[in-house]
Amino acid sequence: MILRAEALARQVDYHGQTLTILHQASFSVAAGESVAIVGASGSGKSTLLAILAGLDPASSGEVWLDGQALSALDEDQRALLRRDKVGFVFQNFQLMPQFTALENVMLPLELAGRGDARAAASAMLQRVGLGHRLDHYPRHLSGGEQQRVALARAFVVRPTLLFADEPTGNLDPATGRQVIELLFQLNAEAGTALVLVTHDTALASRCAAVYRLNDGRLQREAT
Amino acid sequence: MSRLSLQMGWRLLRRELRAGELTVLLLALLVAVTAMSSVAFFSDRIEQALTRQASQLLAADLVSNGNRPPPASWQQQAAQRGLQQAQSATFPSMVFAREQAVLATLKAVTAGYPLRGEVQLRTLQGPKEGRLAPAPGELWADTRLLQKLGLRLGDSVRLGNVSLRLSAEVLREPDGAMDLYNFIPRVLFNHADLAATGLVQDGSRVRYRLMVAGDAASVAGYRQWLAPQLDRRTRLEDVEEARPEVKSALERARRFLGLTALLSVLLSAAAVALAVRRYLARHWQSVAVMRALGQTGSEVALVWGSLFLWLALVAGVLGTVAGYGVQAGLLLLAQQWLGAGLPAPALTAWLSGPLSALILLAGFALPPLLALRRIPAVAVLRADMPTSSRSLLAPLLAIVALLGLAAWQVGDSTLALWLLGGLVGFLLAVGLLAWGVVRLLRRVPLSGAVGWRHGAANLARRPWLAVIQIAALSVSLMALLTLTVVRDDLIGAWQKSLPADAPDSFLINLQAPQQATLDALFAKVGRSAPQAAPMTRARLLMINERAVKGSDYEDERAQRLAEREFNLSWRAAPPPGNGFAAGKWWPADSTQPAFSVEQGLAETLGIRMGDVLVFDIAGTRWQAPVTSLRKVAWDSFQPNFFVIAPQGWMGGESASYITSYRAPDKDFNNRLVAALPNVTVIDISVIVREVKAVIGRLALAVETMFSLALAAGVLVLWAALAATRDERQFDVALLRALGASRQQVRAVILAELAWLGGLTGLLAGIGAMAIGSLVAVQLFNLPLAPNLWLPLLGALCGGAVVGLAGWPLLRKITRTPPTDILRNS
Repeated sequence: MILRAEALARQVDYHGQTLTILHQASFSVAAGESVAIVGASGSGKSTLLAILAGLDPASSGEVWLDGQALSALDEDQRALLRRDKVGFVFQNFQLMPQFTALENVMLPLELAGRGDARAAASAMLQRVGLGHRLDHYPRHLSGGEQQRVALARAFVVRPTLLFADEPTGNLDPATGRQVIELLFQLNAEAGTALVLVTHDTALASRCAAVYRLNDGRLQREAT
Repeated sequence: MSRLSLQMGWRLLRRELRAGELTVLLLALLVAVTAMSSVAFFSDRIEQALTRQASQLLAADLVSNGNRPPPASWQQQAAQRGLQQAQSATFPSMVFAREQAVLATLKAVTAGYPLRGEVQLRTLQGPKEGRLAPAPGELWADTRLLQKLGLRLGDSVRLGNVSLRLSAEVLREPDGAMDLYNFIPRVLFNHADLAATGLVQDGSRVRYRLMVAGDAASVAGYRQWLAPQLDRRTRLEDVEEARPEVKSALERARRFLGLTALLSVLLSAAAVALAVRRYLARHWQSVAVMRALGQTGSEVALVWGSLFLWLALVAGVLGTVAGYGVQAGLLLLAQQWLGAGLPAPALTAWLSGPLSALILLAGFALPPLLALRRIPAVAVLRADMPTSSRSLLAPLLAIVALLGLAAWQVGDSTLALWLLGGLVGFLLAVGLLAWGVVRLLRRVPLSGAVGWRHGAANLARRPWLAVIQIAALSVSLMALLTLTVVRDDLIGAWQKSLPADAPDSFLINLQAPQQATLDALFAKVGRSAPQAAPMTRARLLMINERAVKGSDYEDERAQRLAEREFNLSWRAAPPPGNGFAAGKWWPADSTQPAFSVEQGLAETLGIRMGDVLVFDIAGTRWQAPVTSLRKVAWDSFQPNFFVIAPQGWMGGESASYITSYRAPDKDFNNRLVAALPNVTVIDISVIVREVKAVIGRLALAVETMFSLALAAGVLVLWAALAATRDERQFDVALLRALGASRQQVRAVILAELAWLGGLTGLLAGIGAMAIGSLVAVQLFNLPLAPNLWLPLLGALCGGAVVGLAGWPLLRKITRTPPTDILRNS
């Protein structure tokens, strides 16, 4: 198992009351496997994703990422683990506005100290069809192009595990479909495990397993 | 700092600069560095020029003054250091001519005299002026001697065993007017004739001076070498020691310049604080992305830290170059007053700019940078900026940075502490007041036009932002008000400290019964006579039953003061123009023993309030406690006394009287001497003119510096407003999207600006009023009534300035299509 979660729970205090956003969620992803988490807005999808990726701690329960228990690591150790194993694709792309497309893709390679960052990033951008836009800034790219740069940034380090948070949420349906095609192609080429968070059931059905999050409770759906 | 962080920081810097993200911050830093370095360059070079100018009053840069000829080794050492040198020997002696004799001060000078300044002569060939010394066989005399002996140029004058030819009348002798009480005629002749006069014998009262001049470093080096070799009877004189009234003017000028520098620091700091805050508020999301991609908190802080480091370097270098340019321009303007060929600025002046950029960023960017480490990776999934804790670390660090910067720049910790204390108090008061007003705006349902209501509501909705804005803006406005209004008051008060009717004549040796004759003489020209003060010579015998001996003191000046007699007076009322550092004046009819001591003398001799002093006056012992310490304005040209006793206690003692006045007409002093032949009149009009000229020049330099800081302030105000633009952009877009017309949006913004400006200006006016009075009294010893118009003026100016400065910036917001802003936010 590349990712395993046991009895995850998350509570927050709101005006003196304790709200439970996540109840006893358990979950696992095998290497190379693709898993979708679906649910309505406000069902706790983003909270679950943040906990699984080690961005946010759980109130109770445990997550093992590539065999490492996240609760045993501090924020900086989790950062190093993310750098080595994890890629992200976000709904609002989250490119660095001050960097060009090429530099955005180079960033994780540079953070990992790779000497061939420029060549590898350039090749990856060729692969996502943006070889002619290396030196463009995010503000000069369309939404679909920005998300393709984000895909290149996520896959360029050949992560073991990729988290995608509503990757088509900000795109029109046609562009969304193209981006999803690309996402699954790259996933297959790299043999990366995928955790896809979406409210789009059609998109979710392309994954090997689908979990539904309903009012903070996680259940596996029959496929 | 790792190479990767430095590289990333550099790349970020280039990109952000190109994208305009750092414009405001860079501009704020540039203004700060330019202002600071031009102030540093300018004050450094002006100070050097002024010192050089003032050294003309000493005829040298440094003088050793002793009762034995200076050893040959001193001259050799000066020569080795490449210093120019000249010597003089001064002593009192009788001068014979036309079968009369007169006591005069003789001064034998070597070739090369004067090293600084110029001699002004009337010769048979007409007026001459320059660095001139009498040739062997010649003699120059001042007007007093010519008048007393009825001499004409070309006459023969005998000094001891030699006869010299009177070849010139001395109109101005650079170092001739050193001593206010120097009233006997003066004669100059060549050092080569000294031995032949036979006047210098063992036990003669000769002062030997070795004068040197050269570049500042060599003079300072020589001084360091020479100081340990001096015996007790030899002392060093430099400009500041030589002329207390010039020293006082220099001191004030230095403080004025320091004040300007400090105000520019304040202005810049306010802008930098706002700009850093704005930059980081716009970029927290990039930090969150980096964190999500696996960078640790410290790595992130290092990347942005190196960005700011690069920025400080860029701004430091560019700003220093600009500062040098500004300063060169200013000096071109000021050259006619300061003379050409100013010395190059010292190295510290070059470092001032880059260092201040670093300190400013360290003070204001470091705390938010450290807070970056705490931005969690999960923020990448959120839309709102994570709230950072409002720790006291940031303001504390900033204040420490400011304090260091200020003390270093001004070299005067009193000024820095006063201003910073005032600033901290002001910021606290402004913060509290603004907080209160903003809370009030939130509570009180405002009626009126939609614009005014929304404007007020906009302020009240983000209280912390409003408080920060109000604090930053009012600090800059306060500085601006201080620079404009208070400056005029201060400079006016300074110039008034030496009024047009400043005394130009001193009268000594007046006897008590002669006051009536004096009154009559003044009555004839329709003026009331000045009240003469009694003066007697007293010697300090004991402090608290401990005998006073010169050898008890380390300090050279204290040794002299302990060993010599000084002037003592008695009065019923406190001397006009004196302030009190401690204690208070006795009642007018007091007969109790008491002494009032001048503060500086008390410090030098270690006299404290309540100490019992014993003085010997003509063989009688007078014992009394010290009941007050006085601050004396030595540049007032009034008779001043180190020690004063109550009239009712000491008034019966015999004394001669002294007074000063402005001569009503040219001939007045001659009539006075004819009527009172025993008195001596000392004409100090030359000194008064010189001091006036010095003050005039300094005031001009200070005015120039003030306008520079003023320009900086206006720029910074603009920068501060630009920094708050983003905060409004989204609101405006939303209002527009909801269907507000452009006019309505403008009304809202204008109203908010007016609220902000009015409130800010009111607080700034109150602050400037307080600072002005405080600074005047505490630092410059100048009386200055608070200018009560300042708060009102501040409110009006604040509204107008913020409105005018903000409007063009905000117009851009109202013109930007709302969708662009909403989509990009």
